[in-house]
Amino acid sequence: MSRDQILSNLRTSLASSRSWLAGEAQGASHDIPPYVLPPADNLADQFTAELRSLSGQVYRVGDDAGAVGQIGAILAEKGASQVIAWDMREIGLAGLPQLLAARGVALAATDIQGGGRHDRLQELEPASICISGVEAGIAESGSLLLRHGPGRPRLASLLAPYHIAVLRSSQLVRGLGDALAQARSRYGDDIFTATSNLTLITGPSRTADIEMTLSLGIHGPQEIHVVLIEQAAAAR
Amino acid sequence: MTTQSISFYERVDGALHDASLKTALSRATERFIGNRAGAIGALSDEAALRDTARAIRAGALSRLDELLAQLATNVESRGGTVCWASDGEEARTYIAELAKARGVRSIVKSKSMASEEIHLNHALEEAGLEVVETDLGEYIIQLAGETPSHIIAPSIHKTREQVSELFHQHLGVPLTDDIQTMTQTARTALRQRFLKADMGISGVNFGVADEGAVVIVENEGNARLSTTVPRIHVAIMGIERIVARMEDLGVMLQVLARSATGQKLSVYTSMISGPARSGEEDGPEEFHLVLLDNGRSKILGGEYAEALLCIRCGACLNACPVYQAIGGHAYGGVYSGPIGAVLTPLLQPDLPEAYMLPQASSLCGACQEVCPVRIAIPDMLLRLRADAVKAGKAHPVEKAAMRGYVMTMNNPAVYRAGGRAARLGSRLIGRKGRIRRLPPPLSGWTHGRDFPTLSGTSFGEWWEEREKKRKEAAQ
Ligand code: SF4
Repeated sequence: MSRDQILSNLRTSLASSRSWLAGEAQGASHDIPPYVLPPADNLADQFTAELRSLSGQVYRVGDDAGAVGQIGAILAEKGASQVIAWDMREIGLAGLPQLLAARGVALAATDIQGGGRHDRLQELEPASICISGVEAGIAESGSLLLRHGPGRPRLASLLAPYHIAVLRSSQLVRGLGDALAQARSRYGDDIFTATSNLTLITGPSRTADIEMTLSLGIHGPQEIHVVLIEQAAAAR
Repeated sequence: MTTQSISFYERVDGALHDASLKTALSRATERFIGNRAGAIGALSDEAALRDTARAIRAGALSRLDELLAQLATNVESRGGTVCWASDGEEARTYIAELAKARGVRSIVKSKSMASEEIHLNHALEEAGLEVVETDLGEYIIQLAGETPSHIIAPSIHKTREQVSELFHQHLGVPLTDDIQTMTQTARTALRQRFLKADMGISGVNFGVADEGAVVIVENEGNARLSTTVPRIHVAIMGIERIVARMEDLGVMLQVLARSATGQKLSVYTSMISGPARSGEEDGPEEFHLVLLDNGRSKILGGEYAEALLCIRCGACLNACPVYQAIGGHAYGGVYSGPIGAVLTPLLQPDLPEAYMLPQASSLCGACQEVCPVRIAIPDMLLRLRADAVKAGKAHPVEKAAMRGYVMTMNNPAVYRAGGRAARLGSRLIGRKGRIRRLPPPLSGWTHGRDFPTLSGTSFGEWWEEREKKRKEAAQ
């Protein structure tokens, strides 16, 4: 059987190279917090600057009402009639369901599992906007960490040309290492128990495959709009 | 096909005289180098990050048997299926039979060097399946009927004019000079392929043993679509591409993105563990992980084990003056550039003239200098050359060249003649542990004549000179 053959080859090989490799492994600590920028005074400022440098949009608002107002403005600008979104409870933004209802924006049915998958995907395709929450925001790189799962479909940050993400300043961490450590401490060994997918998103979809010239929106959203709610500032 | 039926010499010669290839390559590699330099410049301690990356990769390889078994067990416990494939044939058969058993008609693929290595597309097409490459660069070369010429940017050798012409021919759209328009054309054409696909095939950047997860890094979103939309996801992973813990990604993802494209992180990183769980509205119903050995388990025990640290970032290609001059196709194998010159003779030894690839280097050391896991590529190229000579494969001119390199190794003064070369020379001489690992025939050779390349001579000039000698020798 190939499994046993491969593992036995590996053991034979490691008999001669394990000590060299193990020595190399000790060449540095594996646990250096891999920060790439000096510490910033304000994570929200840093996140905003990083994402904007990637052509992402960041709107800083003081509370949920401000966020809803901003999302309303984007929906109006894009003339959206249908959105692909997380379950409203998973986004957890007070007033969002009412906003969608008031603007006559329909929530697309996101369940594509079971029979009729191709047909349901075709129905989702015309939607122009995705709306999701996030698990964490990473200041150093302007990234979002999304933990998908029931009520949090992956297509709600992927299929449509514009993606709106709701981020709270309390969810900001400094670096990628912190975001992963936080997931570990929050979920322990159950990070992937209820979900099959974690995704990091850093800016709009892009390609440089033709002459290394940057071009946005090749397969994923061409615009990413992060509505950043800074509650601490509002409470002050 | 075409790349393999003509000789290595002809390919290099053709590449050196292809004006539009030259334009495309110089436009692209310069951009790459600039981007990378920008990203590395922002790092507070880039050296430490690279040391850590190397340590993490070496540590994982030192326990590869255990970690691979752990990865497989965890994938299975999450409801996935694991195929252990000793070679390309086993992997191809598994995927083709799976597709047949599940009534798959249409397949979308995101970029996977491992699948190129085993010529998967060809096998699937033979089995009557429709396979579409969805990474823009891969799509372009699929339309052109070619193979990738760069690990990160497979269509780096194409100019915008050529791409426009391809889209015009195959998709019936008007010719354009505007790259954004071409991108949107590809988006529209490929979107319908995604929505109708039954199976998505992806590569794997890292397998995470402790979580039973595979990590797929990309900028376009085609890998996300390929692994989310179709009902079956098949991931193909070279067995060495493993890390022990999810936390290791904190280092590896940053190092990969910076070295590959100069980004802090790539646009999308998907961490996928098994098929969609109950209640998940999208994602695949089935997840299959193909663990591809194809010679790697043997390489791990030999003197080229260090090559398995490679994370396929492509930085060594962009830095290499030879790659800059000839592009990826001249190398003839799936992997090109300095690391390709090492990997191809190891992973595709049956490729005619694979043994000659280690010649396609000026040993200037630029590759090792940029490598995020600090692989000693020039040392390995020297050893491969020696192996080829020992096996009686190398040409008299190669033997002469070899003597030149050996002389240089023994005579650092020659190296000091030119900037970068000098730096490498002293580094090689300084790394005594490495030099001792050279096989006996090399250590036995002494002074030859001229150092065959480097310094003032461009690769092109050197090549012309070398060709002349070769033709004389053949008469
Ligand atoms: S050898 Fe190093 S620089 Fe070259 S692709 Fe591999 S990791 Fe990147």
